[in-house]
Amino acid sequence: MIEINMNLVYTIINVIILYLLLRHFLIKPVTDIMEKRKQLIADGLQSAQDAQDGALKMKQEYEAALNGAKQESVQIVENARKSAKAEYDRILEEAGNKADSMIASAKETIRIEREKTIHELKGEITGLAIASAAKIAGGKSDEERESQLFDQFLRETGEGHGNENK
Amino acid sequence: MEELNCKTVLKLPVLGGISESVVVTWIIMAVLVLLSIILVRNLKVENPGKVQLALESMIGWAQDFFEGIIGKENKAYVPYLITVLLYLAVSNTIGLLGFKPPTKDLNVTAALAIMSMCVIEFSGIHKNGVVHWMKHFAKPVPVVAPITILEIVIRPLSLCMRLFGNMLAGFVVLELLKYFVPLICPIPVSFYFDIFDGLLQAYVFVFLTALFMTEEME
Repeated sequence: MIEINMNLVYTIINVIILYLLLRHFLIKPVTDIMEKRKQLIADGLQSAQDAQDGALKMKQEYEAALNGAKQESVQIVENARKSAKAEYDRILEEAGNKADSMIASAKETIRIEREKTIHELKGEITGLAIASAAKIAGGKSDEERESQLFDQFLRETGEGHGNENK
Repeated sequence: MEELNCKTVLKLPVLGGISESVVVTWIIMAVLVLLSIILVRNLKVENPGKVQLALESMIGWAQDFFEGIIGKENKAYVPYLITVLLYLAVSNTIGLLGFKPPTKDLNVTAALAIMSMCVIEFSGIHKNGVVHWMKHFAKPVPVVAPITILEIVIRPLSLCMRLFGNMLAGFVVLELLKYFVPLICPIPVSFYFDIFDGLLQAYVFVFLTALFMTEEME
């Protein structure tokens, strides 16, 4: 019943052969398939992670760009407002200056006009006075002296009207 | 009594008698290899079928189990352990099909134990070198050296005898029961001895082999 014989050696050979066969036909293919699947899953996860990272990065970039655009637009509006104000001020000032100069020139014209008129009137009054005096005096007296006399008279009366004769 | 002996099936002129256990081993080998060829034929990476999933989970379980014991860096030994596990599991339960379990023959268990011994010592030498292997007998103290050297033989001997004794005892009990109470009663006993004990002994054999390897590789 209990005896050790050559069958021990046969069994060892059998087991070694079985080991080689099973390793080749069973364990290796199955392990390969499992490894491949693991690799596939790992790759899928990795690529998903990559895609997510890329999307996140892009979103950040877009946000930054949007922020920049907003600031830029604010800047542009600010600039426009500033330049518009400057233009407005400039135009206003110019208009004021022009108006001032126009008023000044109008005043000047009026003054010259009046002076001229006064001058003319003075001459006429002098003429009239001389004529009337001549009529009264009957033309006897010296014309030169009378003329001086009336000028004096007019000056005296003129001083009563203030500074118009100046 | 005649049943207990392993009959010599055929005689070869030079090599001598070939016993029943070796013939049954051949049958088991053929079945295992054919089954694996058939099952592995249509493996797919995506959308695996039910058969493939079952196969993968079994192999995956065995790989995880052995890698858990001997460590991931020594997974070169895993295919051998899986082979022995499969062989023992099939040969311990082949009594259900009417064959005599090969593990009931001392030659088979001795052969497996000798191979385990070789693998255990080889793994130690391969991992740590011959010098370390020689030195480790004298640890923790040199006094234990004779005992640790004896361990080389004792470990496979215990493996061999445990398997042989379990299988033989189960076989004897079952044959006696079948002789005296042929009706119904052998069924639960057969379940215990052929399936439970057979698978348990297969598990224990490879588990202890892996454990001794880990011990040796430390």
